[in-house]
Order: sequence, then structure tokens, then C-alpha cells
Amino acid sequence: MIEVRELTKRFGRTVAVDGLTFHVKPGRVTGFLGPNGAGKSTTMRVILGLDHPAGGEALVGGRLYSRIRHPMREVGALLDAGAVQGGRTPLGHLSWIARSNRVGRERVVSVIEQVGLAGVARKRIAGFSLGMRQRLGIAAALLGDPGVLLFDEPVNGLDPDGVRWIRELMRGLAAEGRTVLLSSHLMSEMELTADHLVIIGRGRLLADTAMRDLTGVRDVFVRSPRAADLAAALSAAGGTVAPAGSGNGEGADLSVRGLGPVEIGDLAARHAIPVHEITPRAASLEETYLRLTEAVTDHVSGRADR
Amino acid sequence: MIDALAAEWLKLRTLRSTSVVLGVVAVVVGLMALLAWYAAGLWDGLPPDQRDHLAVSSLPELTGMLGSLCLAVLGVLAVSGEYATGMIRSTFTVMPSRGRVLAAKAAVLSVVAFCAGFAAILATYALGRLIIGDRAIRGQSTEPLARQLPLFLAMSLAIVMFALLGLGLAAVTRSAVAAIAVLVAVWYVVPLVAFNLPAPWGDRLGSVLPGALAGELAGTGNPGSVGGSLLSPGAALVVMVAWVAVPYGVAAVLLTRRDA
Repeated sequence: MIEVRELTKRFGRTVAVDGLTFHVKPGRVTGFLGPNGAGKSTTMRVILGLDHPAGGEALVGGRLYSRIRHPMREVGALLDAGAVQGGRTPLGHLSWIARSNRVGRERVVSVIEQVGLAGVARKRIAGFSLGMRQRLGIAAALLGDPGVLLFDEPVNGLDPDGVRWIRELMRGLAAEGRTVLLSSHLMSEMELTADHLVIIGRGRLLADTAMRDLTGVRDVFVRSPRAADLAAALSAAGGTVAPAGSGNGEGADLSVRGLGPVEIGDLAARHAIPVHEITPRAASLEETYLRLTEAVTDHVSGRADR
Repeated sequence: MIDALAAEWLKLRTLRSTSVVLGVVAVVVGLMALLAWYAAGLWDGLPPDQRDHLAVSSLPELTGMLGSLCLAVLGVLAVSGEYATGMIRSTFTVMPSRGRVLAAKAAVLSVVAFCAGFAAILATYALGRLIIGDRAIRGQSTEPLARQLPLFLAMSLAIVMFALLGLGLAAVTRSAVAAIAVLVAVWYVVPLVAFNLPAPWGDRLGSVLPGALAGELAGTGNPGSVGGSLLSPGAALVVMVAWVAVPYGVAAVLLTRRDA
């Protein structure tokens, strides 16, 4: 359980996090979304005691992170996969982390195997690809078998196999009852991985909601050669009907809200109106996300980023 | 604290800079042996009445001086390397007590610096005696090891001081370049300035500089060098501690206050 309460963090005059409050509950993957500069990484750094907040607090398991005696056994984190010294080997890197938190040596070997780095355990990290470094960072996060896990952009640099591996790993960790907070820019990936979403923009909370509430059925697409008749019938039955795109000559396409595909089909049959297609359409996370963050995006394409 | 010490020991051991720096120290010892061999050859080639003109700086002291700089650089790199790569955030995530991390780093570095320094000085002394033998070259002490040991121990302590000074400076500046620049100034530039100051200021400044403290601590003073000899052994020890404590104290405060 991670509790962020009224968290505020400033860098000079810039307010990076502005009175942010949300909880991350165990047993599900919570996706952490927001445009660049929204304050995701800053929030994660405050949770881990790396940055000092100007106001509010972030608690892990009811405590300040910095008060935990062996934090790796309770909280695992991957913030920046590049933040390792290239001269070491994965074995060397994980060994000092394990030793500092009294985690056994055998655990080092087992996480190296779990993340698929067994073949390069004694190779210098300097020669690793970003994907391999991500795996090493994940190994470090898993080292203490913690109940709370934070991952900042863990799929960066991973190949499709790796992306899928991360997805299954995250879902597996949550299924074991752990608290998982995961930030990513890849909406389609997030849609597949997260159960719950926390969306922030300019340091403020935009949404804290279940994934299905953001991506539920948006409307039903209906194609009929007698679209006008069907629209009248559907409206009479309580549906909201709007034209959907251009017709293709044999009628017109409709976008129907307030009625399900079964009701629409039955209604059409009762009125003997031919129907060529009925498709329920879900809103993609990407659409919803872009709509939510439209007003707060600092770095719009076309302008210089930072 | 034991966990932090063990972790920092593992880190220092697996740091590439450590083996590079210790390798350089070994090369310094080798160079001193070469210098001894060259001086012995010169001596042998000179007619006996001219041999008194040949003077060579004390080889163990040269090793101590160069070793100080090497271990100071290791002290810098042990901290700045973590800032340069961002690994400092991993370190502080894994060990949230930053004061404890700094203390563990300092303790581990001190042991390495003392052992490496003392071993290098002893090796230089032994090789020098072996190569020079009973040639009475000026500047080379012919005293037995037991008489030299206090000076060698004081020199090893000075090496520890330099290493911790490097560590403190790196933790304050978070930059290898800035920390090494300050170190080189204290190690070389300021002594040169002191040497050229009018009396009594040259001697006064020269006596409190890090490079002069080993001689003063051992009670031998610093004959034939830019270092002054004004401090008593006790005062030299106090100044030595101050050279470590001030940057370390500032680093400890900044480390806990700053965002990592």
C-alpha cells in the first residue's frame, strides 16, 4: 500500500507536484500516467525518500520510506535502468545491494535467472543494451522479495518478447497480492497490463479510476441501407443516434449510444429494417488519456521539448 | 552499520577505479626502484670525492607524496562515480540513511588507503635499501626500519587524510573535476605559493598544509621540502583531523538536505 497525501514538490519556482493525493492498493497493477514533466518520476522519487517534499507526505506500508530498516525487503524500485556503474558485473551489482539489506546470496542467483541474465552474470554492465539494463534493474527491485514495487518506464528499450515478459511479470506480482505501481508512456501496453490508473498532469491528479471505467463501451456502430428509418426507430426506443462517418452509397452509418447491440438488432428485426453491421466500439485508453491530458500537456509536438 | 560497511566494501572492491588507482600506486613503487637503480649507477660512476654532490630525495617520502594524490583521487572517484552515473540514487534507495552511507564509505576507504599507502611506502623502503645498499647517497636515510617506522606510519595516516579529503570534496561538489581541481591545488599549487611567500608567512602556511603534516606528526619536520616544520606532533594531528572533518562535516549536512 502506497499513500500519497497532499504531496507538493517544487524545484526553484517550478511546481513539479502540486497537492497530489492518491493511494496505490495491493493486489492489482496501478498504472501511473501523465505527459512528460507531469511529475511522475518526482512523485516516485519522493515515495522512495530521494527527494524531500515541500509539503504533504508519501507513505509506504504506513511508514516513511527512509524509516524502513531494510527497505529492499519491503519496497523494490526501478527508477532509472542507466543508473548503474558500467565497470561492475550484474553479480557484483546485485551482491552489494543484497549485502546492504541482508538478503542471501542464493537470492541474487535466483533473480538473475528470473530476469534472464544468467548467461551474462559475470560480464561487465558497460556492454549491456538498454533492455538488458532494464532486466538488471528489475532484478534489483525483486531482490528482497518486496510487497511493494515501483517501476518507472520499465519497458523502455525492451523487445516485444521483453515487453510481454514485463506484462506477465507485473500481472503475476499483483496476483500474488503485491502492490505494483507502474509508469509508462505506452498506452496500448498499459491498457493490457494495468487494472487501475492514476493519471496526473502538471503535478495534479486528473483521474484515479479503474481501467474499465476509462475504456468501456463508447457507442455502437450500425450500418444499414435504411439508416434514416432505423435512426427514427432507435431514437423512439430511447437511443441517442448520430451519423457516423460518410455513407457508402447504400445507406448511412450510425453511431448509437444508450442502446446495446442486442437491443438494436432486435429493434431492427421488429421493424424489418435490414442491417449490415452492428459493432460495439470501445474507447481506447489512448483516446481517453489524450482527452484528459490535452489541457495540461507542457510539451506539444512541434515545440522544442525542454 | 555492519551491513553498510560490507556493502560499501563490496562496491569499492568491484569498482574499476580501485584497481586502476592501486595499479598506479604499484607503478609508483616500481618507478622509485628504477630511480634507486639509476642513483646507484650514478654513484658508482662518480669518483669518490665527488659522490657527496649526488643527492636524491627520500624515496619512501616520494612514494608517500604520490600515493597521497592517488588515494585522494580514489576517494573522489568512490563518490563522484556514483553521481556521474546516477547510481547514488540506487545507493540511497537501498540504504536510506545517507549519513551512514557516507560513514561506511569513509571507513572502508580509510582502511584501503592506509593499507595501500603503508605497503607502498614499506615496499619502496625495502627496494631502495636492497638496490642502494650501503652507498651513502645524500637524502637516503640509512637508519634501520624501526627508527623510520614512526615516519612511515605518519605518512600512511597522511595518505588516509588525503583520501578522506577527496571523498569529502567529491560529496560536497558531486563532481570529479571540481574535487580533483581542489585537491591538486592543495597538494601542489598552494605549497608552491607558500614556498614563495615572505617569511614568516611561507613557513606558517607551509606548516599547516596537508603535505607537511606527516613530517611534523612524526617529529622529523620537513627538511629539504616546501613543507614547514612549525607544528608539534599533537598540533599536526589536530590539523590533520581538521582537514578531514571540515569537508566531511559539510558533506554530511549537504547529503541529508539535498535531493539525491
